[in-house]
Amino acid sequence: MASRDVVHYNTPLQRVLSVLSVVFVIFYLIWTLLPFVIMFVSSFKDLLEAFKLPAVGDWAGIGVFFEFTPTLKHYQTLFAENNFSRYMLNSLIAAGGSAVISVIFGSLAAYSLSRVDFRGKSDLFFWIISTRMAPVVAVMVPLFAIFRSLDLVGTLPGLILAYTTFNLPFAIWILKGFFDNVPYGIEEAQMVDGATRFQAFRSILPLVAPGIGAFIVLCILFAWNDFLFAAIIGSGGAKTLPVATRELVQPQNIQWGAIMAAGVVTTAPMMLLGLVIRKYLVTGLTMGAVKE
Amino acid sequence: MTETLTGIDMSVRAPEDRFRARKVSTEVEARPLSAALPPPGRLNPAARKAYYFYLMAPAIALLAFISLYPFFWLIVMAFQKGDMGAVEWVGFKNFIDLASDDRFLSGWVLLFRYSAMCLFLQVSIGVLLAVVVNGSRYERFLVTALLMPMMMAPAVAGLLWLFLYNGTFGWYHWIFHSLGLLGSGSILSSAKTAMYAIVLVDVWQWTPLITLIALAGLKRVPRDQIEANMVDGASPFRNFFAIVLPNLYPVLLIAVLLRFMDNFRFIDHILVLTGGGPANATKILPVYLFEVAFKFFDLGRGAAIALVLLVVTIILGKILVGVFDRPTAGGR
Repeated sequence: MASRDVVHYNTPLQRVLSVLSVVFVIFYLIWTLLPFVIMFVSSFKDLLEAFKLPAVGDWAGIGVFFEFTPTLKHYQTLFAENNFSRYMLNSLIAAGGSAVISVIFGSLAAYSLSRVDFRGKSDLFFWIISTRMAPVVAVMVPLFAIFRSLDLVGTLPGLILAYTTFNLPFAIWILKGFFDNVPYGIEEAQMVDGATRFQAFRSILPLVAPGIGAFIVLCILFAWNDFLFAAIIGSGGAKTLPVATRELVQPQNIQWGAIMAAGVVTTAPMMLLGLVIRKYLVTGLTMGAVKE
Repeated sequence: MTETLTGIDMSVRAPEDRFRARKVSTEVEARPLSAALPPPGRLNPAARKAYYFYLMAPAIALLAFISLYPFFWLIVMAFQKGDMGAVEWVGFKNFIDLASDDRFLSGWVLLFRYSAMCLFLQVSIGVLLAVVVNGSRYERFLVTALLMPMMMAPAVAGLLWLFLYNGTFGWYHWIFHSLGLLGSGSILSSAKTAMYAIVLVDVWQWTPLITLIALAGLKRVPRDQIEANMVDGASPFRNFFAIVLPNLYPVLLIAVLLRFMDNFRFIDHILVLTGGGPANATKILPVYLFEVAFKFFDLGRGAAIALVLLVVTIILGKILVGVFDRPTAGGR
């Protein structure tokens, strides 16, 4: 970084480029954030106000967007009439349950995979990672048949298990990277001091704790945002937020106000969590291939 | 030279010194060998592999139950017809039928067309954005803003865009209409434009991921190479294409493969926005599979499609893992 400005361009072309890049970033920000603004604001609007648009081509009429009297009635509809607190709890249990299971089992497996070498290890690894990458619909076809014969369809345990299909391989894959970075010498030193092998494993946990914490959050995020598993395997008894939101779209009556409110309710907690673990987000979303 | 060296050599190896050294060493050798120490009972034995396998076992067993077992079930199901109650073995009929199934074939074509459009837009916009954002004064703020769409559930994103695309009150429809890009009909209602609609949603949600990956890659582009090129009089464009892009290539390859596989994985927004319509214009293969398996509950046929899809994914995954393992890729 120190050498950043030792050599730099100072040509008219460069100045034009920098102006263009500012314009580009501003346009991109508007394009990215505008849907959020519209969702957020519309959730506080009466439907008639939310549907108000300026005439086509009337760019000066954009101000219409801000003409409304805020109302909380859509949020009240969600929680009073549509039982959204129940769905929120379902989402929380399903996502949290699978995240905790995945990280507990995953960290044990990741630790041992990082410490031992055996023949076929890379094949085992490929199997683990391919489980994570398999298309959800394709995985769901046999899983649905199996779960139906076990009466797991429409139950929260079934949904937790379904989410574990993608969260557990993810946890093993990512956490192995963490354990690889912890030198074996630390455990050896512990064992010389008389710790058992398992105590030695516990002693290095604080070193990977921030990573494990971040990946519990990421597992929750993946499971919370899932729609397909919840729609099929959770259908009926274990309705989660995205599915419940989708069900507000009815052929005769699309409750747009409630949908926007449900969108805010579903998205806001994940956004906050995402900001908390920002540091690990790129690593997590790229399966550990890219580190920030 | 040799004389002086030998001189020094001689002075160092004084006769008494040599003698004393030998005396000490003979003493040591002469000491009677003690019996081998018994292994200390309280200390840990050497690492046994079995110990690690015990730690691994629960996770592997669980994963086998939810991935390997279903996979074999899938293979079995692909050779069957009908539901769980009354199954009938049909051999390869499910697969043979697929070969003459227009929707299956067009599903592949649409899937690749959809992925190609998504990837082209995401990579070009994403890299451009990363280059602009990199080193900017507001980088932290910009990156945080870019993260937002990725945190949203794809199904919710689909619903939000359904609202924005609506032909009578959607703001984005109004913008497209006002710009003259679109007639008065919604972008989703025409078979010609529906595909662009779902591509746009995917681009909106996932371009930031490419940007973040590219940004991580840009931090590792050697500054001295860029400066050397600048000193040699290269233009900013030349600099970008000759130095920055080649350095980004491995990271971008990972990004492209990841996104490509995600296009197979996530169809939430398509199901919500178009459900494969209008006139099957957006019925990419996973959407078609969803319809066959969970709308018509033709699980045998669905299993055959799923198996083909899985095989292709596994091949892609093999390529991806190969890229992961390249030392340059992760910058480890």
